[in-house]
Amino acid sequence: MLAYAVVIFMTALAFYGLIGFDQAQFDARLLRDSYIQQILMFSIQQSGLSALLSILFAIPIARTIHFMPQLPGRLVFLRLCLLSFIMPTLVLVTGLVALLGRSGYITPLLSEDWNLYGLNGILLAHIYLNMPLAVRVLSQQLGHIPDTGWRLAQQLKLSPWQSFLKVEWPAIKSSLLMLSAFIFVLCFNSFAVVLALGGGPGSTTLEVAIYQALKYDFNLSEALTLAWLQFALAGSIFLLMAKLGKLNWLSADTGHQRWLPTWPKYQQHAYRILYCLVWLLLLSPVLALLPTILSVNWETFNWITLFTSALRSLALALTSALLALLLTWYLLQPIRSTYRHQQEKFRVILQWLATHTLVAPAMVLSTGLYIYLLPRTDLDSSGIFWLITLNALLLIPFIFGQLKPRLIQFDQQYALLSENLKLTPKQRLYILWPFIRPALISSFSLAVLLALGDVAVFSIFGDSDWSTLPWLIYGYAGSYRMAEAALASLLLLLLCIALIYLFEHTPGGHFRDSGSRKSKVKNGSGK
Amino acid sequence: MNLIHSRLQTLFAGFVTAILALFSFQAQAQSQNQNDILTVYTYDSFVSEWGPGPQLKKIFEQQCQCELKFVAVEDGVSILNRVRIEGKKTKADVLLGLDNGLIEEARQLKLVRPHKLTTDHLTPVLNWQDDSFMPFDYGYFAFIYDNRKIERPATSLSELIQSDAQVIYQDPRTSTPGQGLMTWMKAVYGDQSTQQWQQLAQHTVTVTKGWWEAYSMFLEGGSDYVLSYATSPAYHAVAEGHEHYQAALFSEGHVTQIEVAGITNNSKNPELARDFLEFLTSAEAQKIIPVTNWMLPVIDGVELPQAFSKLIQPKTIGFTPKEISQQRKAWLREWRSAASQ
Repeated sequence: MLAYAVVIFMTALAFYGLIGFDQAQFDARLLRDSYIQQILMFSIQQSGLSALLSILFAIPIARTIHFMPQLPGRLVFLRLCLLSFIMPTLVLVTGLVALLGRSGYITPLLSEDWNLYGLNGILLAHIYLNMPLAVRVLSQQLGHIPDTGWRLAQQLKLSPWQSFLKVEWPAIKSSLLMLSAFIFVLCFNSFAVVLALGGGPGSTTLEVAIYQALKYDFNLSEALTLAWLQFALAGSIFLLMAKLGKLNWLSADTGHQRWLPTWPKYQQHAYRILYCLVWLLLLSPVLALLPTILSVNWETFNWITLFTSALRSLALALTSALLALLLTWYLLQPIRSTYRHQQEKFRVILQWLATHTLVAPAMVLSTGLYIYLLPRTDLDSSGIFWLITLNALLLIPFIFGQLKPRLIQFDQQYALLSENLKLTPKQRLYILWPFIRPALISSFSLAVLLALGDVAVFSIFGDSDWSTLPWLIYGYAGSYRMAEAALASLLLLLLCIALIYLFEHTPGGHFRDSGSRKSKVKNGSGK
Repeated sequence: MNLIHSRLQTLFAGFVTAILALFSFQAQAQSQNQNDILTVYTYDSFVSEWGPGPQLKKIFEQQCQCELKFVAVEDGVSILNRVRIEGKKTKADVLLGLDNGLIEEARQLKLVRPHKLTTDHLTPVLNWQDDSFMPFDYGYFAFIYDNRKIERPATSLSELIQSDAQVIYQDPRTSTPGQGLMTWMKAVYGDQSTQQWQQLAQHTVTVTKGWWEAYSMFLEGGSDYVLSYATSPAYHAVAEGHEHYQAALFSEGHVTQIEVAGITNNSKNPELARDFLEFLTSAEAQKIIPVTNWMLPVIDGVELPQAFSKLIQPKTIGFTPKEISQQRKAWLREWRSAASQ
């Protein structure tokens, strides 16, 4: 229950801050300000376009992945998709600037008017971050089409277009809407990309405007009003999503293909070309970092700053993830008992309380807390505490989603048995541990990776003398030192890859498909 | 289950202790040697390897037997923003890099204290009488272009705004040149500024947070014009030996920037801070600043490289610091609404 107290207390503080007092008050007049209306429109426009384009591009790629299981490196590709989804956004931004910025490698091939800053850059980055996710989800959905569907389509001699409409479309339709809403929310709450690639007031989003109101104008009332606006919009889309169902984006790639239609030769070639192209596209921002690094001035480069920032980031990410894991564990205990005692309603409430931070964007919570704390405490020395706690809070839903099914499954299978056998707590631990270890490790590693890339919370609570690796990258890019930015980005990326590798090679830890294989063997079902 | 609980609880307790330990360690580290450290908030290009920061630090540290610590933010307005947010908890002793557009606001926020220094040695051009701020260099805002790309540069602000030349400028909410452009627009267009901002937005490449980012982007071929200073060409002439980059002389007149330093109200080392302000206007420092920060010296009799005599000599327009501070908020609102359309 202590965990619930912590989680609720933090959010309550944040919203108490958002209610406003003394110097900060909700200002409805701002809603009529043409600037605010403009950024609101832009926020919706960019997230809508990002979602639409990500999915449009994802459909043919997902089909390629699904229909051509013999493609070389297909599994690695799916992994790369996951990596580019959780990749720290500033690494991508640096890569994009190296490729398409003013003196980028590709820029000379583009038209004179090309400008990465503004909508162009924001869309590119968002598509890069979210399309791979859509590819994964959609190719899984295609895998759920029963063999009979394809056989029937072949017998009826449906044209490729007809079979797309009649066989594939129904399979992906349900997840498309869900996926669009999910990507929309992610882009709507996106901070670092817009901060780094927005080209001035014309391409500012609500999220960035909140930050600017706090840090540029020190206008608490405006920050507070914008935060409510952001919360209301993101929250309602989230509720809509909750109605639509559940998106299973981290689940296992089942891998076994049974029966697939054969495609004409030309189409197979088209698929192959597309596949190679996407490989290239996914790798290019990362590869672009390498030659950029060569222009680092090694003599004057501040290695100490780089490494202390990296260590700091790691320490912060690990503590946040650990705290989140502990909190989630305690949050889950009452929920486990509701299953045992069949308290359906109570469970729904508890679950909502435990994962409510998913609805409130990081920037909204940070802003509320910041406004509350600013006149009350010395944020200079306690900033790091809030930074860790807030990050942990934001990670809880992700860990919760992975850990809960495993724990409940365990209880269903073994709780009665262990009670009957009168096992001691120690013995129960022995049984539980191998059962939840994969989920524990994979959710922990996901949490570490997400925390490692945090920019939003740090931008509010961080201290620029005490910068993390992503913030250092932003600083380098902000003073247009692209070589240094590229070097720091590469280090951050290597850290992420090393972490994934480490977690995958921990016995029993499968980052990608946490435990589902084992559970399949045991009870014939993944869920 | 109890065992897991108790173990997790131990882990949790250990974790909290570790964090607390980290805090107290940090706090201790901070409280050490506060007397011998002078903390100066400034903007990033001032402390870059080719800026005045490193040289000034070396000389001043020899004189004062102390440590001069620069903390750099993106640009001048960000210095004010940061100190304002930090309030009484700020570690800054000196704010270096505010300008005439910000001194009234800084004074009203009670961020600074009187410097109690004489200003007689300053050049009469400035006619400086402020009791809280000490100027350390000055110059005129100007748009810089590359004469290999542009043969006939714009001769007025209107010509630039009406053209389709690509422009980079800085955010007036964070940067003093950005704020300078804002006062420039108001001085030239007054109530008609909104339309002009919208017109300019049509061919603006990007609005950057600070001067350095904008100027670096311009040098990499990012735009036709960049907002900078009339003195910027001297840098290229002296350091790089060419005259490709020139300042466009505008017929409406140019806005002056006087860069100033002030002692914070919360400074724990006001004596040391005063010494530093005095040092900034000494002949020794004034010899360094023009050829590193590329602005004009605030005392007479400083020998300048030949390139300085070739710079444009604009007539000046603009507002008094008081006028700027009264209008600043409204002007910013006008700018952000117009530039976001």
